[in-house]
Amino acid sequence: MENLLISLAQNLFPIFGLLAVGGAALMVASRQAVHSVLGFLFAMLCVAGCFLTLEAEFLGIAQLLVYAGGIVVLFLFVVMLVELTKYKEKDIFQKQTKVALLAVAGGLLVVGGALRNALFGPAAKEALTLRPEITNGAVLGNAQAVSRGLFADFLLPFEILSIILLVALVGAVVLAKTERV
Amino acid sequence: MPMTLTQTVVMALIQIVVLLAVIMAVVPIITFAERKVIGYVQVRLGATRIAGGHVGITGPINRAMWALGRVPVFSILRGLPIFMADGLKLLTKEDVIPEKADKLVFILAPAICMVPAFAVFAAITFFPGAEGLFTFPASFPIVGGLKFMGFLTDINVGLLYILGVASVGVYGIVLGGWASNSKYPLLGGLRSAAQIVSYEVPLSMSLLVPVLLVGSLSFRELSVKLATEMPLVAAVPLFLGFFFYLTCGFAETNRVPFDLAEAETELVSGFHTEYTGMKMGFFFLAEYANMIVVSAIAAAFFLGGHYLLPFGLQSQLIHALGAGHALNQPSILFFVGKVGFLLFVFLWIRATLPRYRYDQLMHVGWKFLIPVTLVNLFIAAAIKFVWM
Repeated sequence: MENLLISLAQNLFPIFGLLAVGGAALMVASRQAVHSVLGFLFAMLCVAGCFLTLEAEFLGIAQLLVYAGGIVVLFLFVVMLVELTKYKEKDIFQKQTKVALLAVAGGLLVVGGALRNALFGPAAKEALTLRPEITNGAVLGNAQAVSRGLFADFLLPFEILSIILLVALVGAVVLAKTERV
Repeated sequence: MPMTLTQTVVMALIQIVVLLAVIMAVVPIITFAERKVIGYVQVRLGATRIAGGHVGITGPINRAMWALGRVPVFSILRGLPIFMADGLKLLTKEDVIPEKADKLVFILAPAICMVPAFAVFAAITFFPGAEGLFTFPASFPIVGGLKFMGFLTDINVGLLYILGVASVGVYGIVLGGWASNSKYPLLGGLRSAAQIVSYEVPLSMSLLVPVLLVGSLSFRELSVKLATEMPLVAAVPLFLGFFFYLTCGFAETNRVPFDLAEAETELVSGFHTEYTGMKMGFFFLAEYANMIVVSAIAAAFFLGGHYLLPFGLQSQLIHALGAGHALNQPSILFFVGKVGFLLFVFLWIRATLPRYRYDQLMHVGWKFLIPVTLVNLFIAAAIKFVWM
């Protein structure tokens, strides 16, 4: 009993990972747009589970809050409001299979090349941490460690990123705005 | 004593079963209380005078009270069997799935609604003490000698967990409305999604006040420190935040005056118009479970949680009387009492206030609640900066 539970607990990460891949496959394969969104939601929840098994509970919950709770709801909104049935005859989604496969293969090459060392090379000598010397070795909770990284170590890049998001937002409003006098 | 993994899992299962049983027992009682409270507030004859028969055990008392021109006292409890009949009706009613409905999503939607509503209870602390509620006798298999704690888990991102899991519940409503393939449910689902997503912003903002004052996200730590380690001025943002949070909580749970998702006069019954039987019952259970969660969070963070006095005033009492005094001990009764009172407030408001119009709802959310919760957050930050 004990050993079974321990082995189950140790294998939670691959279980969640495979489930996430399954959700992603459902999203791509399903013909009904709302089912796609459901598959995406499932994949996002499983990714949150992956984070939790890696003891990154803040990231896991943030994943849940931001993706599952916010972004996918917006997707669902758009999918439900845009009538996809009228595109069915035009067959636009099925025509691009070859192009899509080529693009995916190219993307895989690039990502695989970039991650080749990480995947097949020797393991890292030191674990990646958020500069523990700042906290003088004090053990912090996950949320505190992440916020230390965001608001102390990498404050400037973080703020610049938020400005980029703001620019994108303003750009979207400008593009979507109809001309009014 | 460190627990083995088996013990941890079995202990968690026991706690989950107890918790579920309590929720399942409380929800029908709330529906019963709802009939009664609204009946008395709105002077509805059916709900208030169902009782007081002239026969039976209480007959003589009832006759005497009628003779005095009063409604019999026992009428408060009469009608109690109705909620059992209600449950039986939900369980045995024919389960209709509309022909044009998306079957898979139609069946999934009530489950998606209910699972998050129950899952959030995992992070709620009902009793903070390390001694637990009781200890299992050593003769028990597996869990013998272990403490039954007043909380299921105490993760260090407990509050975020509650917000995150609760935000998944909105899918049940939206998908239920969409899968019915009928116009009123779809409108109800869309309204509710827009409402819940909008009100999540001021809701989180009002909950940031306690988080800022304490500097933690763990439910247990928050509820204990908010009651016992606050300066007197902290009562101001906590007092204001309580009302902002409660308003947003009403909107999040789709309760009157923000029940636009099921506005009967406009949308038949909103997102669950096409649902019958126990599927409808699941939506129902989820709504009431969400009410309990909102009440529990409000009670724990703003009303002093497991201690006597609300808004952090308990710390003044501790200064005055010393930490050992009987009035300064945490008790699960205080917590349950506060949650019960807040549930009563839910019913009270339902009986009193009319429903908002949809544009008014959005105006209140975006143009009033978000600015005032921000200002409240500034006040809390100033207090943290100067006094703590």
